[in-house]
Amino acid sequence: MEENLLSIKNAALSLILDAKDDKMLEEIKLQFLGRSGQLTLAIKEITKVPVEERKEIGILANEVKQTIEEALNEQEKILSKKRKQIIFERIDVTNPSVKPPLGHLHLVTQAIEEISAIFSKIGFERVRYPEVEWDWYSFGALNFPQNHPARDEWETFFIKESPHEKYGAMLLTPHTSSGQIREMERKKPPIRMLNIAKTYRRQSDISHVPMFHQFEGLVVDKDIAITHLKGTLDYFVRSFFGKDRKSRIRPYHFQFTEPSFEVDVSCGVCNGKGCKVCKAGWLELGGAGMVHPNVLRAGKIDPNEYSGFAFGFGPERCMMMKEGLKIEDLRILYSNNLDFLEQF
Amino acid sequence: MNFKLLDSWLKEYVKTDASAQEIGRLLSLSSVSVEGIEKKGNDFVYDIEVTTNRPDLMSILGLARETAAVLKNNNIKALFSKPKFIAPQTPKENLVEIKNDPKLVNRICAVAMEVKVKQSPNLVKDRLETSGVRGLNNVIDVTNYVMKVLGHPTHVFDLDRLNTKTLIIREGRKGEIIKTLDEKQHILNGGEIVAVNDRGEIVDLLGIMGLQNSVVTKDTKKILFFIDNNDKLRIRKASMSLGIRTDAAVLNEKALDPNLAFDALVYGIKLYEEIADGMIISDIIDIYPNKVEEKVVNVSFEKINKVIGVKISPDKALNCLTDLGFEARIERNQIIAKVPTFRTGDIEIEEDIIEEIARIYGYHNLPDVLPPQQEVVPHRFDDEFYWEERTKQALKYWGFTEVYTYSFVSEEMYEGPLDEAITIQNPLTMDFIYMRNTLIPSLLKAVSDNKTYDKVKIFEIANVYFKTKRGLPDEVLTLSGVVKKEKINFFEIKGVIEQLLHDLGIKETKFKNPRKGGIGASVYIEDDYLGEIEVLDTNLIDFELNFEIILRRATLKKEMKVFAKYPPITEDLSVVVEKETNTEELIDEIKAQSHLIVEASLKDTYENTKTFHIIYQDFEKNLTKEETAKIREKIVSSLKRKFSASFK
Repeated sequence: MEENLLSIKNAALSLILDAKDDKMLEEIKLQFLGRSGQLTLAIKEITKVPVEERKEIGILANEVKQTIEEALNEQEKILSKKRKQIIFERIDVTNPSVKPPLGHLHLVTQAIEEISAIFSKIGFERVRYPEVEWDWYSFGALNFPQNHPARDEWETFFIKESPHEKYGAMLLTPHTSSGQIREMERKKPPIRMLNIAKTYRRQSDISHVPMFHQFEGLVVDKDIAITHLKGTLDYFVRSFFGKDRKSRIRPYHFQFTEPSFEVDVSCGVCNGKGCKVCKAGWLELGGAGMVHPNVLRAGKIDPNEYSGFAFGFGPERCMMMKEGLKIEDLRILYSNNLDFLEQF
Repeated sequence: MNFKLLDSWLKEYVKTDASAQEIGRLLSLSSVSVEGIEKKGNDFVYDIEVTTNRPDLMSILGLARETAAVLKNNNIKALFSKPKFIAPQTPKENLVEIKNDPKLVNRICAVAMEVKVKQSPNLVKDRLETSGVRGLNNVIDVTNYVMKVLGHPTHVFDLDRLNTKTLIIREGRKGEIIKTLDEKQHILNGGEIVAVNDRGEIVDLLGIMGLQNSVVTKDTKKILFFIDNNDKLRIRKASMSLGIRTDAAVLNEKALDPNLAFDALVYGIKLYEEIADGMIISDIIDIYPNKVEEKVVNVSFEKINKVIGVKISPDKALNCLTDLGFEARIERNQIIAKVPTFRTGDIEIEEDIIEEIARIYGYHNLPDVLPPQQEVVPHRFDDEFYWEERTKQALKYWGFTEVYTYSFVSEEMYEGPLDEAITIQNPLTMDFIYMRNTLIPSLLKAVSDNKTYDKVKIFEIANVYFKTKRGLPDEVLTLSGVVKKEKINFFEIKGVIEQLLHDLGIKETKFKNPRKGGIGASVYIEDDYLGEIEVLDTNLIDFELNFEIILRRATLKKEMKVFAKYPPITEDLSVVVEKETNTEELIDEIKAQSHLIVEASLKDTYENTKTFHIIYQDFEKNLTKEETAKIREKIVSSLKRKFSASFK
């Protein structure tokens, strides 16, 4: 019995030392320590040993079991160490990787996502309204006189359809401001709208595309003042462009706001000192103003009770201004040149 | 509109020590945008953008008035010195009789003079050239100089070449041919404003450009100095349709103050006397049928403060207005403002007056305040924009690149009958004439525009447009993609759509044989038709899905299934069926045999043999081999019966 145990031990130890991988070790473990392993069976035989020797044999059997288990553990560690050595010795980390697929979102989408998130934090609700609209929503209700040049067929795309008896000609929205009236029709104040949409104008050159995007903010509530517009613009400018940037409003002219403003952002290149990129330290962002009382009336809101402000900017321009992207020809944004799109 | 002028010219009418830089900065903040200030010798040149509602600022005098007002309100000494325009003595004789049509022209001022044609003095030439006008000779230069100082275009005829007793103002007629002074021939469209001589010849295209047959030459001895204040809409229409965009036309298509016309005449006469040896030889003609109406606007201080957001003192408000040329006074708690005639085109309502006060007070002096949120408004997190963004992100991480293509397409790229197409009446080019009803041709064009790429994976989410019987078109938000790759597999695209919809919480996606034929599949959510996958070639597949249906179905709703306590039994079953038999039908039939089948999926296909992997599981107790054997028998017999299947 004693001999048997010792030979089992020796056999096991020599096999363990020879084991080349974890699988072999696992087999060895089963062969000796498994339910019908050699040592397990041998231990069962102990009952047949005379009582007076049994204790001593028992101790020996335990020692053998312990030794085998320790050897298994030891060998496992050695193997694992070796394995790692092999791997690390073999890696050329400069070789190309195996990449998961990764596409690209269009610059316009990236801008829209950022802008939406920023305005969502101060309670602006994003909406979507028709791109093919009636004259009423795009011009009439926005206080454009009947013969305003924007209503010319030189500036706006018209659709070959007979005009609506009440709403006039069918056209492609030249600005997101048509959403102002749609929003006022949809809900009563307080209104905090963010309308981001495609817009269309009859122009195509290096700085104009016939289809582009705008985002339009509209706030209508009691006692809305110019100071509130200034605050909202300042919040957007510092959130989107960086907390050290400044904003300002200057007098301008739009039909649907009174007073009207042009909004500037301090230049990020020269920090407002004036450089080649900017105009005396400022970059133009877009238009804004206090909603014209005629526009509120057209939206069935009483201008004596409520007031509001609105602004409309281009996400394309914002993104380019933010990143300092110098896009020589704006039309590349919609050219779908993959050499361009896959850079972002 | 841009206006360039010399600092020294401006300062002829504003007495101030302010530097050009200071003037530029303050004008930008409170008046017009000064886009550039350039040094020129000892002088500076301003480049100023003037908005279309302020043609009065397309003039040295207008800008001088604003400059003085802005400087004063920023505590810088400045005085606007407006010259007085007093009509000179003239002979009583009338050389040309003008017959006006008040529907066409608001006011005509004219006078005949003897002049001597020569070079203008350098000062005049320099000032004009800086302002973007090429000097020709003194007689022409005066017309431009007057326009720059006063902001009203003027014209000069050679009186001898005109050779007429009467000048009749009438509408141009369609087909009439004229030759403008730049020697270009134009065919009138009708509706223009023209002047006609005794012989019925057109001698002027009013408000836009002089004609070759009456223009001043180097031999001119007598002139008719002529100022016309025209119907602005006719000028706009004529100038745009004839494609003649002169400085005069750009001004005349705005509302110009007819009172300026007379000042321009007086100032012009003075200049002719000074630099062209000018001598008046006729009486002054002044035909003024459409007089400017007087306009008064009242606004309360309460309203002023409410709109601006801070309290402005009544005196401050009053000064802002008077400095801008308003005759204003305070009466109780409001301001009563009489609008100057050069502003009647853009001042209508209370808000216009408030704007004048606010901008001169200075927007930069107002605080920044976020609008207070007075009501509790719940925020919808998973709105349509959330799902759109999530979809785009998923596709991006599966290797797709997003494109934006134009909403309008050419006839070649339009799918379907053209009489159903939404057509642009005034397209820029024939490439952009129909509103598209599918995104696929645009995406395929994007693929072919990127010829150097062997592998292209692109997508777009955009509207497609369908005509309705009455009213606006249906705009349907659509998700489309195209994949170009050697040996592309249909099931890769099917997989993209399945996983996408799964990620949006949509479970009941079905793929059926394509409705329109061809190779591919129609995609459904239950019975809602979503769209198509089309296999176009061995290396080209596209898909197009109605994204609005997806939006209606997408959900964040979460369900949790009970974990199974008892182990499953799995087995593979090989079935020999006819090749056309749909896998899905077989799976549905297998699953229908027992509720204990928790999953049945296709493991392998070889010729006519399909091998299914079946998982049996009982949530109540341990399953036995005997039980699953019974179910398998049911499967075998039903597949034999319904699909004539055989088993190996």
